[in-house]
Amino acid sequence: MKLPVNLLIGAVLVALVLGAAALSLLWTPHDFTQLNVRNKFAAPDATYWLGTDQLGRDLVSQLTAGARNSMAVALAAVLLGGSIGTALGLLAAAIGGWVEDLVMRIADIGFAFPALLFAIMLAAVFGPSLTNAVLAIAFINIPVFARVARAAANQVWTREYVAAARAAGLNRFAISKDHILPNIAAPVIVQATIEFAVAILAEAALSYLGLGAQPPSPTWGRMLSEAQTLMYQAPQLAVYPGLCIVAAVMGFGLLGDGLRDVTDPRLVRER
Amino acid sequence: MGYFLLRRSVGFILTLFAVSVVVFAVMNVLPGDPALTILGLDATEDALAALRDQLGLNDPLLTRYWSWVTNALTGDFGVSHSFRVPVAGLIAERLPMTISLAVSGMIFTVVLALVLGIAAAANHRKAGDWGIMFVSQLGIAVPAFWLAMLLVLVFAVNLRWLPPGGFPGWSDPVAAMRALILPTVALALVQSSVLARVTRSSALEVMRQDYVRTARASGFSRRRVLWRHVLPNALVPIVTIVGMQFAALVTGTIVIENVFYLPGLGRLIFQSIANRDLPTVQALVMLFAAIVVTANFIVDLLYVVIDPRLKARA
Amino acid sequence: MFELDQLSVSFGTATALREATLTIRPGDRLGVVGESGSGKTMLGLSLMGMAPDAAQVTGRLTVDGQEMTGAGEADWQRLRARKVAMIFQEPMSALNPLRRVGDTVADPLRIHMGLSAAEADARALDLFREVGMPDPEARLRQFPHEMSGGQRQRVLIALALACDPALLIADEPTTALDANIRLRITDLLARLADQRGMALLFISHDLAAVARATTEIAVMYGGDIVERGATPAVLKDPAHPYTRGLLGARPDPAPQPRRNGKRPRLPTIPGTVPALGDLAPGCRFSGRCPVELAHCATVRPEMRDLGGRFAACHALEGGA
Ligand SMILES: Nc1ncnc2c1ncn2[C@@H]1O[C@H](COP(=O)(O)OP(=O)(O)O)[C@@H](O)[C@H]1O
Ligand code: SF4
Ligand SMILES: [Mg+2]
Repeated sequence: MKLPVNLLIGAVLVALVLGAAALSLLWTPHDFTQLNVRNKFAAPDATYWLGTDQLGRDLVSQLTAGARNSMAVALAAVLLGGSIGTALGLLAAAIGGWVEDLVMRIADIGFAFPALLFAIMLAAVFGPSLTNAVLAIAFINIPVFARVARAAANQVWTREYVAAARAAGLNRFAISKDHILPNIAAPVIVQATIEFAVAILAEAALSYLGLGAQPPSPTWGRMLSEAQTLMYQAPQLAVYPGLCIVAAVMGFGLLGDGLRDVTDPRLVRER
Repeated sequence: MGYFLLRRSVGFILTLFAVSVVVFAVMNVLPGDPALTILGLDATEDALAALRDQLGLNDPLLTRYWSWVTNALTGDFGVSHSFRVPVAGLIAERLPMTISLAVSGMIFTVVLALVLGIAAAANHRKAGDWGIMFVSQLGIAVPAFWLAMLLVLVFAVNLRWLPPGGFPGWSDPVAAMRALILPTVALALVQSSVLARVTRSSALEVMRQDYVRTARASGFSRRRVLWRHVLPNALVPIVTIVGMQFAALVTGTIVIENVFYLPGLGRLIFQSIANRDLPTVQALVMLFAAIVVTANFIVDLLYVVIDPRLKARA
Repeated sequence: MFELDQLSVSFGTATALREATLTIRPGDRLGVVGESGSGKTMLGLSLMGMAPDAAQVTGRLTVDGQEMTGAGEADWQRLRARKVAMIFQEPMSALNPLRRVGDTVADPLRIHMGLSAAEADARALDLFREVGMPDPEARLRQFPHEMSGGQRQRVLIALALACDPALLIADEPTTALDANIRLRITDLLARLADQRGMALLFISHDLAAVARATTEIAVMYGGDIVERGATPAVLKDPAHPYTRGLLGARPDPAPQPRRNGKRPRLPTIPGTVPALGDLAPGCRFSGRCPVELAHCATVRPEMRDLGGRFAACHALEGGA
């Protein structure tokens, strides 16, 4: 089978970002917290590949550490929101009737809160923190996954083997776990990949606004917010972290689209 | 039709109600002492007690919720702690800024997306289509605030064509519009990338329909067929996305106002967070959520206006 | 006058229309019959300049002497509706669901004929009356989904007639309709062509309808026109083996009796129509033909004059 181009490009970008994130756990070219004010705004050279920032910290090291933070936040948020949402969707499909209606209505209400609004509330009450950013992004993922999981599960419930399992006396929850969940994995994973991209964008915006990671932990969003005040002295600082965000978001977005094209032939869209 | 309106309106009101419960719950029920949050750790016990009393924190939750909602409905959002003036007044002062930005952003988003999406569909599988698809794929991945920074870098810092931020107010309309250009573009480019793709795929779907062939057979120009026959029929999915994007756009103004130092509601929210001004934050979050819910309600009604077949079923 | 000279439409190696040569004069009423996939629609679309984008069109096509081979979209736009109009097979989906049918008919009048909105509306009402639309005033304001299939087909006919075309192409105009109104639509088209002196290209599966509505007939198979002649003569005494198969070798061209309200279908010929790309380079019918000769599959038979009638078949050579 011929793999779609978007899948390949997406996989390469994702591999690069994940690779940089993983590598930064073991090794970065320099200590990204290492201040060296005498060497601030250094131009790129053999030691500092992309130069240094206003405090003389190595940019490449900060960017790779930022990749790690971004990935960690997105992973935690999508895992948390995705599993709650998927469980709700499964439950709605399994029980049906008013329970299903109720879950879906609640999901609708969830759509009224963009991650930013939720993060703002949490920041106002508890003070800004990376945990709050994760919770806010996880929260908006719940209704998304509830819908996807319910739609997919409702289809699986009509299949023969589910009827067979019911005839064999399995209860609805056991069927959901043993038969429905494995069969909705594909659309859920596809959605997770796409939401991963959304989460990276959301985290960047929250960190930029100061509602996410706090100093000194480097994230792409925070690097940009610091760069903004230095736009006249060091415009290059405003460029690299943004490029990293674009690469990561585009990578996961393309990967998700590509996976969907591969796993769901019915949905092959006109492109 | 009447029944449809009634059902949608009831749903709309119920959703607003549920949203208000969520906002109130997160801001008031979650463990934490608003008085402590507001005054800080070094506040005296007397001051804390006085503030709790003033905020009505000693009343039962239900009473507090009820008075918040009923007051809000009469336009009373409480008093801001940091500014020591009614929140409603603060909002009224800053609302025109935010509305200007949201409206210009929305208009630019829709116009750009329709033009690009229809152009891509009309050039299906040709260079123009690929080009638009590539740029929009990129646009989706670009954070609006970063795009804003790049625009400032190029058009304000380097070329000095436009101001890097701030808003002079509408008393000088030319300066006001100049100040809105970069924020509008930053807000709209990203959103229109999504919408252009939806427009394109919806238009391609419609272009396969028999009635488009009929329009062509009627001797109409390509342009006329695209804009008068294809586009209206492609609108239903487009409007759905516009409704969802309105939410993104309105919260986008919060971000963009902070990039460009525009004195709107988005700036007010951040000042209020910094000032630990909980009543103001609560009112603003509720306002933004209400705008999102209202946008979706309007979209629901729009479907019926667009498609006479739905009117029959509604 | 529409003149086709060796007009071909192909998709890569698949030829949907092969070297069609045909003249349509003012007032001609020409029926086109043939199994599904034989290229009837492609012939109609070619006359509208609306062959699919993917198709390669070769040969010549002139309209009133104007060379249209390789003409651009803009040139065709000037001819459509005003010179040649087409009614498509599926009335249920051929009307813009968001426009009132009166506006759909009035649009070309305003745009092509320069009529004011009021004039165009009045003209649309006349057209609705002319096509026998019941309660025409009220219908103008309706949406397609509020109408029956027969009424929609009348709207499409009114639309096609709006700019007074010299040629009306009706592509299976009754196939999707209920049996009881098929006859009426068929007669309507024949009458309109007659009254207006308009040429009619009537594409149909329904031999009874073709017999009623047309004076001449062209039989198509595998992209070829295999037989042509006066309708009664061809239906009474088909020359081409394919036409004979199509008619079920019935000597009687009268309408087949309707059994339990089902429309009379073309009698089935043994075998199935092969995929376009798999057709023999010679006679397209070879492989299914009961009287096939040795060279049929490789040598293409010429169109032969059988005394005012024409057929392309090796079995007719050197005699008949
Ligand atoms: N876009 C296309 N690409 C390839 N083949 C096509 C296309 N459109 C039509 N054809 C082929 O052209 C042939 C003639 O089709 P058509 O004129 O519709 O036949 P008819 O109207 O007699 O049923 C068919 O075999 C059809 O498959
Ligand atoms: S040319 Fe040959 S194959 Fe074709 S119809 Fe005549 S006899 Fe049959
Ligand atoms: Mg056909």
